[in-house]
Amino acid sequence: MPKMTDTMEEGVLVAWMAEEGDAISAGDVIAQVETDKATMDVEAYDDGVLLKKVVEEGDAIPIGGLIAVLGKAGEDAAAVLAQYGQGGDGASLAPEASAEAAQPSAAAPSGDGAPTEAVGRVKASPLARKLAIDHGLDLRTVRGSGPEGRIIKRDIEAMLAQGMAAPAAPAQAPAPPPAVAPAPARAPKPAPAPARAPTPVVAEEGYESVRISQMRKAIARRLAESKYTAPHFYLTIDLEMERAIAVRQKINAQAEEQGTQKISYNDLITKACAVALRQHPQVNASYMADDGEIRRYNYIHIGVAVAVDEGLVTPVLRNADRKGLAELAAETRALAARARERKLQPDEMAGSTFTTSNLGMFGIEEFTAIINPPNACILAIGAIRDVPVVKDGEIVPGKRMKVTLSCDHRVVDGATGAQFLQTLRHYLEEPLNLLL
Amino acid sequence: MAQLQLREAIRAAMVEEMDRDEDIFLMGEEVAQYNGAYKVSEGMLARFGEKRVIDTPISENGFAGLGIGAAMNGLRPIIEFMTWNFAFVAIDQIINNAAKIRYMSGGQFKFPIVFRGPNGAAGQLAATHNTSVESIYSQFPGLKVISISNPDDAKGLLKSAIRDDDPVIFLESEFMYGMRGEVSDEEDYTIPIGKARIAREGDAVTIVGHNKSYWRAMEAAEMLAADGYAAEVIDPRTIRPFDWDTVVASVKKTNRLVIVDESNPFASVSSEIAFQIQSRCFDDLDAPIMRVTAKDVPAPYAKNLMEYYMPSAEDTYRACRKVMYLD
Repeated sequence: MPKMTDTMEEGVLVAWMAEEGDAISAGDVIAQVETDKATMDVEAYDDGVLLKKVVEEGDAIPIGGLIAVLGKAGEDAAAVLAQYGQGGDGASLAPEASAEAAQPSAAAPSGDGAPTEAVGRVKASPLARKLAIDHGLDLRTVRGSGPEGRIIKRDIEAMLAQGMAAPAAPAQAPAPPPAVAPAPARAPKPAPAPARAPTPVVAEEGYESVRISQMRKAIARRLAESKYTAPHFYLTIDLEMERAIAVRQKINAQAEEQGTQKISYNDLITKACAVALRQHPQVNASYMADDGEIRRYNYIHIGVAVAVDEGLVTPVLRNADRKGLAELAAETRALAARARERKLQPDEMAGSTFTTSNLGMFGIEEFTAIINPPNACILAIGAIRDVPVVKDGEIVPGKRMKVTLSCDHRVVDGATGAQFLQTLRHYLEEPLNLLL
Repeated sequence: MAQLQLREAIRAAMVEEMDRDEDIFLMGEEVAQYNGAYKVSEGMLARFGEKRVIDTPISENGFAGLGIGAAMNGLRPIIEFMTWNFAFVAIDQIINNAAKIRYMSGGQFKFPIVFRGPNGAAGQLAATHNTSVESIYSQFPGLKVISISNPDDAKGLLKSAIRDDDPVIFLESEFMYGMRGEVSDEEDYTIPIGKARIAREGDAVTIVGHNKSYWRAMEAAEMLAADGYAAEVIDPRTIRPFDWDTVVASVKKTNRLVIVDESNPFASVSSEIAFQIQSRCFDDLDAPIMRVTAKDVPAPYAKNLMEYYMPSAEDTYRACRKVMYLD
């Protein structure tokens, strides 16, 4: 079982794509594996014949675990295993084989696609070694795509891209972006009323056992890690939304006429955040404990939490500050749709520098979100409410929206976060400022 | 910008310098009456007279030494070798006198002398007329070595070489004398010795090539562009002192290096570049440095073998794809 994302610890073999006896060329897809991120293809790294499938579809196999034996035509799979040792602890072959192959499996997972070879020394280019040190990666966990399994720059980059792909933050609940096209489907339907008649008493109390999906494991691990290591504090502001509402209506009326892209409040907020971040690089940052540095990015990639069946993912809008509203809107919709189909590739979820989560469509007034590591902040967006407000001594109807910024205190102090929110207010309360 | 042949650009450099400084003279086989074996010095005898454009007998060791003596005594000779293959008989003068006496005399003597002529392969001339000598001369401290790939560089660098107070080995190419190219019209146009030229920018791979090999590098870059990859091509122009900074900066960007060098491979300029870059850029390299050189045999005579012997654009392209892990 290859390590296909930085965060995966095991993979579920969803489907075999090759049969025993098939001739396989390096690069052929032999199986599909569900990781914590997506369902991905497992490719063979060598030519040969698929001698034996060792695991069944649906089995979960730890990284490095044996899934199949690839050898020469006519070779005996058990003999191959006996010869090369069966490092993986995920599955075992025929009993006689596993008995023979009772070698310590510690550093020597075997089988195709295992991240390391049993031969010991990791082959890596000097650049790959340096990058691994810089990013605190263990080279033994990286799969080399160069000659003879040499780990090269692109392998490290792929690993890092996946590592940044945080299935993001708000722990409280899944967070579909508000007006993203397919979102309504995600909005809670009134649940079918629980049986009107008193539920018949069951004979025994019991429970349904639900397999913990890879995605749910990733959410559990990453958000716990975030909450444990990043000291969170929260800043809430209440924003006047009258002008934002008017601007959006105008834009969308025009879009209707011209048949162009309509925008949501969320798009407006994404844009405002991106532009505000440009002025607050301290917020567009990461605390890199292992590297002993705080990174301030010169680019602005905004992750947007999207609810999917099993949990949530955060597709990333790259360089959001440089994109127009219509472009952001179209990209957000496309990413959200792909997210729901679980078709997002790891790199589409990687590399955010800031994240937003919106529960407004559920009528949530305000909430606090867990920071999506390695971001320094996440913005939790509540619903737009009709509220009485006092203007010039009169009580008049108003539109308000609360947003809450969760800040990692290792990077962002109270005043820093507050100043960012001030700038955000400047843009959302008067969206014309976004034009300046 | 004037369109000049390489031979015209070299001539223009010599004429301009000789107009400027009457201590400069040109000496070599057939440079005067015959107007140059490759017509590089055409018209120069008529312009400067026989005291400054001097035909010599076939005696390289003699006229090289004569030039060195003249340089030691304050003149600024340009010595033309009909090819650098023939300079082997003069190599004691160049290496033991020109390269070393400034050092051995504690700086009492200067050597403002240029040795110039065509270097490297020149077609079906067989083994003794196809030698690339840049690694030999660049081995010796005391010599500057320039190898040019186009008329503009030829003019700018030859003028700098003539003005330099150290002996300069100036390497041209028989194949390229007729090659046309734009040459700067700038008055008194010089190019500093020791500065490489980034001929093409890219981030996928760095290709270094000088003289004819520069053109193989450019062709390979074109092939890579067709595949969607931007190669960075660097013409070092000066072999010694070599412009390491430019190549280092490029390799830090591309993480990979291919060197094209028409010399025989062992202990060639490409060997030295590979050594220096692995040492200066060890942590930036994502692949072993590769080089494309002449085969490790004396140059053959047969046309097909000669083609096989020389480094080609195709070989360079394949080496690039290899260090980019595409194949």
